[in-house]
Amino acid sequence: MLLLQSEIASILLNGLQQGAIYALLGIGLTIILGTMEFLNLAHGALYLVGAYTGLIVFQETALSNGLLYSSGITTLGFEGGFLAALIVVPIVGFGIGLLMERFVAEPFYDRPETDQLLVTFGLALIVEETVKNVIGGNTFQSIAPSTILGVNVSQPISLPLVGLFPSWRLFIIAIAFLVIGLTYLAIERTDFGLVVQAGTHDSEMVRILGIPINRSYSLVFALGAALAAFAGLIGASIQTVSPQIGTQQALVPAFLTIVVGGAGSVRGAIAGGLVLGLIISAMTQTYSQWAQIVLYLFVALMLVFKPEGLFGSAEVGE
Amino acid sequence: MARDTTALSRRDVLKASGAAGAAGLTGLAGCAGGGGGDSEYPAIGNYPVEGDEVVFGFNVPQSGSYSQEGADELRGYNLAKDHLNNGGGWVDNWDGLSGDGVLGKTVASVEGDTATDPDTARQSAQRMINRDNAIMITGGSSSGVAIAVQGLCQEEKVQFQCCITHSNDTTGSECVRYSFREMFNAYMTGQALAPVLAEEYGEDLNFYQLYADYSWGQTQQASMEQFFTEVGGWNQLESVPTPLGTSDYSSYLSDVPRDETDVLVLNHYGLDAANSLPQAIEAGLDEDMEIVVPLYNRLMAEAASGSIDGIFGTADWNWQLEDDATQSFVEVYREEHDRAPSYGARIAYTQTLQYAAAVERAETFYPPEVIRELEGHDYSGAGLGDETMRGCDHQAQRDVLVMQGASEEEQTEDKLLNIVSTTSRDDIGYACDAGPAAECELGEYGDE
Repeated sequence: MLLLQSEIASILLNGLQQGAIYALLGIGLTIILGTMEFLNLAHGALYLVGAYTGLIVFQETALSNGLLYSSGITTLGFEGGFLAALIVVPIVGFGIGLLMERFVAEPFYDRPETDQLLVTFGLALIVEETVKNVIGGNTFQSIAPSTILGVNVSQPISLPLVGLFPSWRLFIIAIAFLVIGLTYLAIERTDFGLVVQAGTHDSEMVRILGIPINRSYSLVFALGAALAAFAGLIGASIQTVSPQIGTQQALVPAFLTIVVGGAGSVRGAIAGGLVLGLIISAMTQTYSQWAQIVLYLFVALMLVFKPEGLFGSAEVGE
Repeated sequence: MARDTTALSRRDVLKASGAAGAAGLTGLAGCAGGGGGDSEYPAIGNYPVEGDEVVFGFNVPQSGSYSQEGADELRGYNLAKDHLNNGGGWVDNWDGLSGDGVLGKTVASVEGDTATDPDTARQSAQRMINRDNAIMITGGSSSGVAIAVQGLCQEEKVQFQCCITHSNDTTGSECVRYSFREMFNAYMTGQALAPVLAEEYGEDLNFYQLYADYSWGQTQQASMEQFFTEVGGWNQLESVPTPLGTSDYSSYLSDVPRDETDVLVLNHYGLDAANSLPQAIEAGLDEDMEIVVPLYNRLMAEAASGSIDGIFGTADWNWQLEDDATQSFVEVYREEHDRAPSYGARIAYTQTLQYAAAVERAETFYPPEVIRELEGHDYSGAGLGDETMRGCDHQAQRDVLVMQGASEEEQTEDKLLNIVSTTSRDDIGYACDAGPAAECELGEYGDE
């Protein structure tokens, strides 16, 4: 019995950690999709930018190939530490989001969805290849700090039922849910959030009411980008960093999250991310070879029986 | 990608002209030996070689899980090409190599990205064969890739020189006549590692395995189970597959029973290992059990550098070996790249030179003759003492290094591991009718 409780507790913790990253990605994607009805396949590229920005801010990294290396720059980075990265990465993501909305998304708002898909997927490839050619295609180690605010986070911590668990992962679960909570409050409890929600339901009506929805569009896009970049930083602290992580580790999970949670719903993205994280964690710990099969089967069943997702609005679902 | 059998390509024209040469022109004055188009042999694969250049195809992962290994393989290949054309390195010491190309032809190369994916690798190799007329292809870094490409090379009758590939299947059930492996395999890792671990950790222990779920990982975990059980009397609790390319192993590691497990065996490589090993240590598993990584590589050691102190594994070769060949290779590599080479670079360099030397001995690029030169070839001067490229399965019979992670104080940019012992080739290996070789059917030379 104790063994079962321990197993469940372990699944919950691992699922929360994975689910938090999915939720961060999903929230960013869903508010952009819900508000602007814009399909952003470059969302994974923003995760990639976050991971590399974090890497550069966090430490000085030795380069071994790429344009910078061949130009004589053999190290890159500021050794600013993880707290600096926590501040800088979302700001960089936010700035890139503003630029993306202005120069990439806006000209395509009234174009067919296939055009949006093509341009954003192309952008994702450009970002990935640029990183690969400039910084190098090799893999960099993860960037977890050994201490944060004087607390040692490199050693595992003993938890009731679970036993030893990496303390760094507890920290990132906490910080990820803090950011998720703040985003939720911003969307649910502020005037800006009300405009975003109203825009999700009927953007035309919001415009007719005299609310400057275009400015909100920019902010929504930038917020989504900042969250994706933040997710990239969190991911880079537990996994190796390479140019492929945007498409391999971020893009597909982000879309799966909003399929489960429902397009346009922040609550849905949080719920979707957590559900997917828990499925992956539970299956990996019990029947690992079935993990991916069960994950995609679950998403397929959601599409068949609840296409609007757990919290999706009917308008967007249609 | 299927080859177009109806269109007349440049390659077909060249082949036809070579065949014409073989049929009627071999007696013409000036036809020296069988180096190129002036051949005494019939056309096969991309033979004969026309013009002043001969093309080698370097098919390595430049993206995907093993991209870092691929980058160092490429450095080894380019160094070999440079030395074959201009002299230097081992070319100055190996019999038959002149430093003036191969059979008087300048060595040129084409590069491909396998993306650590067998299908992509096969397509890349196919392009090298069809478009670039590569006479020899070399690469690997994933056994899945190496097996796929060597299968293609057997069909196309183009020589394949394996680089990093450690699966038993490469020179076992999936072996082919047109492929040769310098690297050791998982079976030999088990033979070398099990006695050391039994002595170090004791007998009758419980071990738990995680393995990358493809050819290499599957044969690796099978060999670990076989030798840990046979040699140390250890008991396997469970062996769990993990998909190649997994980046977060936390759930797999959470499932390891800490109370029962004495040894955790991580059968991962490249990027996978660079994630799994640090994550195992991050989870504190090293406090409750011993961790073993049967096949070390530099990326993994760097990723977990702070925590690999004392962790056992094996390696193909290491720059710290003191023999002349090793030291001369390290010196020329260091001059070029400012750091010590990984073993991937050594295999790449060796395999390229090995092929070139066989061509020189055969005095022709004609693949069946080159293969016969390599089969049963005894050699040294490749950094591992005396070696034999066995004829029955094309597996090099060579020593295997058992390594241990260096302590943090000992570590430098190049030195992350210590050599524990060199297991002699006389103490490992297996007969032609045993182990992986028992399943090997090499196939045809193409001139039967």
